Amino acid sequence: MNFLIRAAAIAAMLHITPIVVLVKRPDAVRALLPGADAYVAREVHLSGTDAHRLHETVDWSPEDGVLVFYGGTAGSTSVGALEFVRVDTPHGPIEVAVGFTPQGAVRGVVVTKATVEMKPWVLEAVAAGLTDHYRGLRPGGAPGVPGGAAGIAGRAGNLAVYVAGEVDKGVARALAAYGAFYNHVRA
Amino acid sequence: MLYDLRRSDVRVKWLVTGLLATLGLSYVFGAAMVALYAGFTPQSVAATYAGAEMSMLMPPETTMVVQRPMSMADFAGPEVHTVDTKLLIQDTHVHVPMYGLIAAALGVVVVGLSLPRRRALGLIALLFAAPWLDFAGMWLTKLVSPRFAIVTIAAGWAMGVAYLIVAALAIHQMWLSRERG
Repeated sequence: MNFLIRAAAIAAMLHITPIVVLVKRPDAVRALLPGADAYVAREVHLSGTDAHRLHETVDWSPEDGVLVFYGGTAGSTSVGALEFVRVDTPHGPIEVAVGFTPQGAVRGVVVTKATVEMKPWVLEAVAAGLTDHYRGLRPGGAPGVPGGAAGIAGRAGNLAVYVAGEVDKGVARALAAYGAFYNHVRA
Repeated sequence: MLYDLRRSDVRVKWLVTGLLATLGLSYVFGAAMVALYAGFTPQSVAATYAGAEMSMLMPPETTMVVQRPMSMADFAGPEVHTVDTKLLIQDTHVHVPMYGLIAAALGVVVVGLSLPRRRALGLIALLFAAPWLDFAGMWLTKLVSPRFAIVTIAAGWAMGVAYLIVAALAIHQMWLSRERG
């Protein structure tokens, strides 16, 4: 009986909590592609070689081998592009929206989904200014992960810093994917 | 047999009743969660577990781009919750032990019921087989054919039916039967 109780406790602790929407996708799109009145979805189906190259760079393979970028235009002028990137953590997945300016720099980052467990960590990290640290980053910039987690280390709790590290991974993946595949493959 | 729920101490009956009520509550919310994330039709379950992997198992020889216009309404549209292979591995890892413990707990209740041996064995087998089939259905849907979604749906219903049979028999024998002690 003791074993059963312990096993139940361990299983309950390991149980991943459901995913909640922190920011609705349309709201993230409006924030990251401001002023856009037309949108296009650009699905990049990666070859085995390119998928391997991306995996080598950021230790990540997109779901089903497909990268999806959303471009926005205002009239005939591009206002940039954005990507939704999922990061699987031991506590469940989070989703990060990363927006780029037409010049290819990060315009902003929005955490759109997290699990119930991670939601307060994400909110604390964002309140500590996490997403400010990504603005202006460019693909092929300084090597290593973006410094969001390091940037809030003194101003937020351990769990917020932990989840910021996961957001860093999402931003690094978006940067690598955007830099290598957004403008370099013809439709 | 020493362990007979009809004649057991009222404390044991109360414990079993509490267990059944708690599991019943979790089953109700489990069904609500299935309705939210996967649905109850073979098509929606197949869309959740098979995803795009079924239609494009092999990557293209060269990277290619497909472009389509989007409206804001498309961003707002209901998203199909998909479970890819990595997430299904994680789900299987965390759910199967819990399902095993629930089946074991309900199996212990079955052992205390006054039932012919074969029926008790069959009920215990159903308690364990239903979650096995539930996950087998998910994996077969992902790896073999979306048509196996029906296995997951049938197994989910079997889990609910098995719980209802055990709960009904236990409540009846513990609290309503004339032969109770």
